[in-house]
Amino acid sequence: MLSGLRLQRLPSAHPGIALGARVAAIFLALLLASIVLEISGAAPLELGIQVISATFGSTYGIEDLCLLLIPLLMTGLAVAVGQQIGAWNIGAEGQFYAGAFSATAIGLFVPGPEILILPLMFIAGAVGGMIWILVPTLARAYAGVNELITTLLLNFVAALMVYYVSTGPWRDRVGMSNSATPRVKAEIPEFWGLVHWGLPLGVLMAIGFALVLSYSKWGYEVRLSGSNPSAAKYAGIPVRRHIITVMLLSGMVAGIAGMFEIAGTVHRLQGGISNNFGYLGIMVAVLARNSCVGVIFSAALMALILNAGIILQTQGLTTSAVLAITGLILFLTAIGDELAHYRITRIKI
Amino acid sequence: MNDTTPSLPLPPGTPPLVQLKGIAKYFPGVIANHDVDLDVMPGEIHALLGENGAGKSTLMNILTGIYRPNAGEIIIDGYAKEFASPLDAIAAGIGMVHQHFKLVQAFTVAENIHLGWDKTPKRASAQKLEARTAELAAKFNLQVRPGARINELSTGEQQRVEILRVLAREARVLILDEPTAVLTPAEARELFKALREFRNRGNAVIFISHKLDEVLEISDRITILRGGRKIATEQAADCNPRSLAKQMVGRDIVLADMRQRPVGAAPISKDPVLRLDTVSALGETGLSALHGVTLDVFAGEIIGIAGVAGNGQRELSQVLTGIRAPSSGQILIDGKPVAHANAAEFVEMGIGHIPEDRLHSGLAPALSVTVNAVMREYKKPPVTTAGLYRPGAATTLAKDIAEVADVAVPDFGMPIRNLSGGNQQRLVARREMRIASKVLVAAYPSRGLDVGAINTMLKYIVELRDAGAGIVLISEELEELLNLSDRIAVLYEGKIMGVIDNDKVDIDEIGLLMGGRQQTKEVA
Repeated sequence: MLSGLRLQRLPSAHPGIALGARVAAIFLALLLASIVLEISGAAPLELGIQVISATFGSTYGIEDLCLLLIPLLMTGLAVAVGQQIGAWNIGAEGQFYAGAFSATAIGLFVPGPEILILPLMFIAGAVGGMIWILVPTLARAYAGVNELITTLLLNFVAALMVYYVSTGPWRDRVGMSNSATPRVKAEIPEFWGLVHWGLPLGVLMAIGFALVLSYSKWGYEVRLSGSNPSAAKYAGIPVRRHIITVMLLSGMVAGIAGMFEIAGTVHRLQGGISNNFGYLGIMVAVLARNSCVGVIFSAALMALILNAGIILQTQGLTTSAVLAITGLILFLTAIGDELAHYRITRIKI
Repeated sequence: MNDTTPSLPLPPGTPPLVQLKGIAKYFPGVIANHDVDLDVMPGEIHALLGENGAGKSTLMNILTGIYRPNAGEIIIDGYAKEFASPLDAIAAGIGMVHQHFKLVQAFTVAENIHLGWDKTPKRASAQKLEARTAELAAKFNLQVRPGARINELSTGEQQRVEILRVLAREARVLILDEPTAVLTPAEARELFKALREFRNRGNAVIFISHKLDEVLEISDRITILRGGRKIATEQAADCNPRSLAKQMVGRDIVLADMRQRPVGAAPISKDPVLRLDTVSALGETGLSALHGVTLDVFAGEIIGIAGVAGNGQRELSQVLTGIRAPSSGQILIDGKPVAHANAAEFVEMGIGHIPEDRLHSGLAPALSVTVNAVMREYKKPPVTTAGLYRPGAATTLAKDIAEVADVAVPDFGMPIRNLSGGNQQRLVARREMRIASKVLVAAYPSRGLDVGAINTMLKYIVELRDAGAGIVLISEELEELLNLSDRIAVLYEGKIMGVIDNDKVDIDEIGLLMGGRQQTKEVA
C-alpha cells in the first residue's frame, strides 16, 4: 500500500474537477479511437484535421453543425425538463414525429399567408407533442404507470404513422419521390446563413426554463416534487398537478423540435425525419446532468460528434466505426463523471 | 487486561473469542475508528455503547467483513484473520443481526433460514426444510413457526428468525444492532432470556445499544466508544446510568422529568386546539390503519403516543397534519371542522410536523440545505415576492434557521444529505417550530440520535410547549414519554387503547395496552 495515501469518495464532485474529467475523457476517447484507426491502417491525424477543417474551415461546415444542433438542443431540453419532475421522457422521438406531423398537416392543408401559417404550425407542433405524451402523463399521474415504457412504445406508433402518411395519403404525387410529402411552403426565416431562427429560440427556451425553475415559486415546487415526491406531499405541494404540467411541457418542447425540423430544415415530412434526435436527446440531457442551460453545451458536443461522423463516413469510415467512437466518448465521460467524485489524500494521524 | 472476568469461569490462558487490536477506519473527512481495541471473551455479553457516529457500526462492519480496516488486526480464538468478505466472517463464526432485518418477506421462515447457506440440502422439499428448521429452533430454544411467511410475523418473531439464521450457521459470536428498538417490553424480555442461554453455552454476544438501562441489565462488560475511539471497557456491575452517559458524551447529561413549567409558561388551554373525532384512515396499502380514533390536543400540553412502531403511528401523524385524508370522522381545528385535508393549509394554520423518517418525507436529500430549510415558508415573503422565488432571501432564512438550530453549515448550496443525521433533525425541528404556533406533531424526534442530540431535541419540544403550542409526541421510548408528556395515549393496531394521565401512570399497564392487552400473544 502507498504510505498514507488514500482514495476518498466525495458526496459531490467539485465543478472544476468534473469539467476537467470530461475534457480528459473526450481526449482519451479520441486517443483510443486514433490508436485503433492507426492499427487498422487509417491516418487518424489527417482524418482529425479533415473533420476540423470541414467543420470550422467554412461557413458551410458551421451551418451544418448548427442545423444538427437545433433539434438536439430541443429534444435534449425536452428530456431535461421531464427530469425536473423525475420523469424519464424516452418518448421525445415520438413527440418529435407528432410535432412534425401536426405542423406538416397545417402547412400542407391550411391556406393562408406565411405570417399566419407559421405561428399556426408552431402551435400545432407544440400541441402535437403534448397530445403524444398525454396518455403516458395521465397514466403516470393517476395510476403510477412507469412512463419509461409508455413513452417508448408510443415512439414506434408515431414513426409508423409518419411513414404511412408520407408514403401514402400525403405523398408527393408531383415530384419523383414517393417517400415524402410535397414541400411545405411556409418556412422559418433564416437567422444566419442557412441557420434558421430555431437556434436562438432553442437557446432562449433553455435559458427560460432554467430561470423559471430557479426563480419562481412554481420552479421551487417542481424541483422539490421531482427530488422527493413524499417530501413535496408533506409540504402540501400538489405533486400530481406538477407531474402533469411538466410532462406536458416536456412533450411540447419535443413537438416544437419536430415543427422546426419541418419548417426550418427539411421542409417535407418523410419517414425517419427524426434521425434519432429524440433518442440522442436522452444522451444530451444525461450529459448535461439535466441542467437546462447545460443542455446547450452538451447538445453542441453531440452535434459536433454527429457532424464529425458524417464527415468521417465520406472518408470511407463505416457507420459502425463512427458509432463506436461516439459510444466510447460517452462511456469514458460517464467514467470520468464518477472519478471526479474521488480525491487522493494523505491521512493525517 | 485483568478486567476480564466473564460470568463463566474460564481456564487461565483462554484467548478471547474476538480480539480487535488497533483497528482504524477512515472515511472522507471522517475518522470512523481510530486505534480501537476490543476483546470479547467466551461466555460474556459485551455491550458496545456510544452516541451516533461514535463508530459502533463501523467497528462491527469491520468485524463482520463488510469493511476492511485501514489498520489493525482481527484475532479470532488467538489466530489473526483477514476477512475479505462477510462470508469469511461467517465462516469464522461471527454473525450479525442488523437493525433492519434482511429477510425475504414473501418467503417462509424455513426458506429464509436456508437461503444462501451452503448446508442447505440440494433439492429439498418444503416439508424437509421446515423439519430442519424446527430441529434448529428446538436446538437453540428459539420459538419460530417454520411454515409461516415472514410478512405474517410480528417484529419480535422476525427477529428470532434472524437470530436463528445466524446461529444455524454455527455462529459463536452474535452481534445485535439495537435489537430492542422494535420490540415490546415482553418481547425484549424473551430476547434477553435467549441471549443469556446462548452465552451460557460458552458463546459471546456483542450488544450494540444506546439505551443505558438495558445495557446495564443484559451485559457483563461494557465498552464505550466516543468519536471513533475507545474510551473504556468496564464491568457492568461497576457502572451506573449516569457514569455511562457521562463517558458516552463526555459531559453530564440530565435525562429527567421535564414536565415542570417555568414561571410564565403558557397554561394548558380549556378547549382543544386540535381534535380528532372518531377518525378512521386507510394506510399506504389501502388497508384500514386507524379505527375510530378520538384524540384531543390542548394548547400548552404534551400528549404522548405510546405504542410499538407500525401500529398506525405514521397514519395518525399524517392525518393530524393534513397529509392523509380521513376515510371517516372529523378533524376540528379550534373547534371548527376541516372540510378537506390539505397539508399546505394545515401549515398555514400553524401545525408543524417532524416526520418519522426525515430523509424520506421531511427532506429532499439531494437538494440544497437552503431549499430544504425554506420548505415551510417558501410561499411567503421574503422568499417569494410577487411569484418570484428569491434564492438570496431563501439562503438568508436558511442561515437564520441553522443559527437557531446551532448547526454549522459550510455551504448552504450543498445537498442536505451531506449533513449528519443529528444536524438534519435539528434543522427540521427548528424549521417546524417556526411555523408550529398551534400544534407540533413530533414523530420519533429522537430516533437515531445520540444522548446529547436527544436532549437538545427534547428541550426544543418543551420550549415550544411553554410557548403555548400543543405537542403530539409519538415515540417508542417509554422513558422519553414519561419524562415529557402530560398525558399518554396508547396506540395499538390503529386504535387508541386508552389515555392515561402521567401522574397516575403504571408502566406495566402501558406495556399491556401496547400489546393490545394480550400478553399471551406469543405463538409457538
